[in-house]
Amino acid sequence: MIELSGITKSFDRPVLRGVNLRVPDGCLYGLIGPGASGKSVLLKIIVGLIRPEAGTVTIRGRDIFAMSDLELQEFRKQIGMLFQNNALFDFMTVADNIAFPLRRLFNLPEDEVRQRVAERLNVVSLPGFEDRLPSGLSGGQKKRVGVARATVAQAPIVLYDEPAAGLDPVTSQKIFDLLRAEQRAAGATVIMVSSDLDRLLTVTDRVGMMYRGQLIFDGTTRQAQESADPYVHQFVHGIPEGPL
Amino acid sequence: MMAGSVVTRALQPFAALGAFFITTSEVVGGMGVMFGRIISRLVRFAFDRSELLKNLYKMGVKSVPIVVVTALFTGGIMVIQAAPLVQRYGAHGLLGWGAGFGTLREIGPLLTALMISGRVGANNTAELGTMVVTEQIDALRALAIDPISFLIVPRFIGIVTTLFLSTVFADALALFGAAYAGTGILGVEPMVFYNGLTSGLLGLGDVFHGLIKSVVFGIVIALASCQFGITTSGGAPGVGRAVNSTVVVSAAGIFVLDYIVSFAIG
Repeated sequence: MIELSGITKSFDRPVLRGVNLRVPDGCLYGLIGPGASGKSVLLKIIVGLIRPEAGTVTIRGRDIFAMSDLELQEFRKQIGMLFQNNALFDFMTVADNIAFPLRRLFNLPEDEVRQRVAERLNVVSLPGFEDRLPSGLSGGQKKRVGVARATVAQAPIVLYDEPAAGLDPVTSQKIFDLLRAEQRAAGATVIMVSSDLDRLLTVTDRVGMMYRGQLIFDGTTRQAQESADPYVHQFVHGIPEGPL
Repeated sequence: MMAGSVVTRALQPFAALGAFFITTSEVVGGMGVMFGRIISRLVRFAFDRSELLKNLYKMGVKSVPIVVVTALFTGGIMVIQAAPLVQRYGAHGLLGWGAGFGTLREIGPLLTALMISGRVGANNTAELGTMVVTEQIDALRALAIDPISFLIVPRFIGIVTTLFLSTVFADALALFGAAYAGTGILGVEPMVFYNGLTSGLLGLGDVFHGLIKSVVFGIVIALASCQFGITTSGGAPGVGRAVNSTVVVSAAGIFVLDYIVSFAIG
């Protein structure tokens, strides 16, 4: 269970205003909302990269901001994350990027590392890209390498920030289906932020909608699609006219 | 209203002075905290060995050409500056001592530090700053990797080691350059130059004096470049500002500490 209580954060302006959120174990949770509504900041708070001004984040019964730096570092081994801008290490090849968590955290034999890297690259439709540098990849290819790196360690909790941004519709659907299948197989708890609602809502169990730093909706995917709330209805159905 | 603006204007220099002290305190304090974090990893040997080797190659080996050029010409310049006095007083035998004294204690470490600051320090800040603005540092932390152990400590060791070894190398090359400039400009035979160097007026203390400075300068460059790099904000313009700050603070730090170290160890 991931549980957020009263999360408040400001930068130049208030970004999150008392967000409460519960994501049950084994749930694929879609976090949606207009741009600059605080979704990416919320993900970074969940993984402990940003400290909120108020509120608590409890993951598997542990308050992550009550941990020491070393404890939090150790705890993060249970979390995989895909960043909005991919955050690939540009001084490493594609293979080294994907292998990085395996080599650094799990000390796996090199044969097994290579095998898992090749398997991940196949899954994201980039076989043979091992020796390429991130600077030589297109935006969509970078995104797929990011997905491969986020999933290679098979963490029990995975956070995806825009996993399909910049991908064509076919690859995008493939990525969503892949992430869903892997989440089901591993029983992982997943929070996924995406603007591609048509595809996101085909894979989520539950959906939360952020608006101006607050969680204004939390329910099942069906409830989101059938919601009469004017904000949720307009956003989910992509209607130009409305309160948003 | 008028009186208020006059008072505000009169207080402006004090406000600027206060802002300067606050900024300086932030920079020095940040570098101090960074130094503490580096030491805490160093004593536990908690740093990445392969990153260290990579940085030693990138910072040290690739700096050799620029160190060679700088050092050879520095030696030559020392002789050109000394030439009028040497000729006026016929002190050809003291040329080796004069060039050695100035080079080993001051010019060698100082100019090498400035060159390494410009080449390695600025590059280090740009790399770290780019990693910050493209979320690569956040990605490291999210992957349960300590960025200080993985990135900062290897770079710190790399810069300090590079500057120390480059200074040893530069000292030797500068003296070589001075000896041959002495032959070309003043007709002083290399052997006479060598005798001047080893006549007893110069000692190992003079060599260590310069090498101690090189270590201190290396620490300043490493701390400034890592601190400004890791605290970069504001996208690509922020990286540019961070690099600029590194060059300015490193150069200022080198001169201030040169004075202090010279005074302290005599």
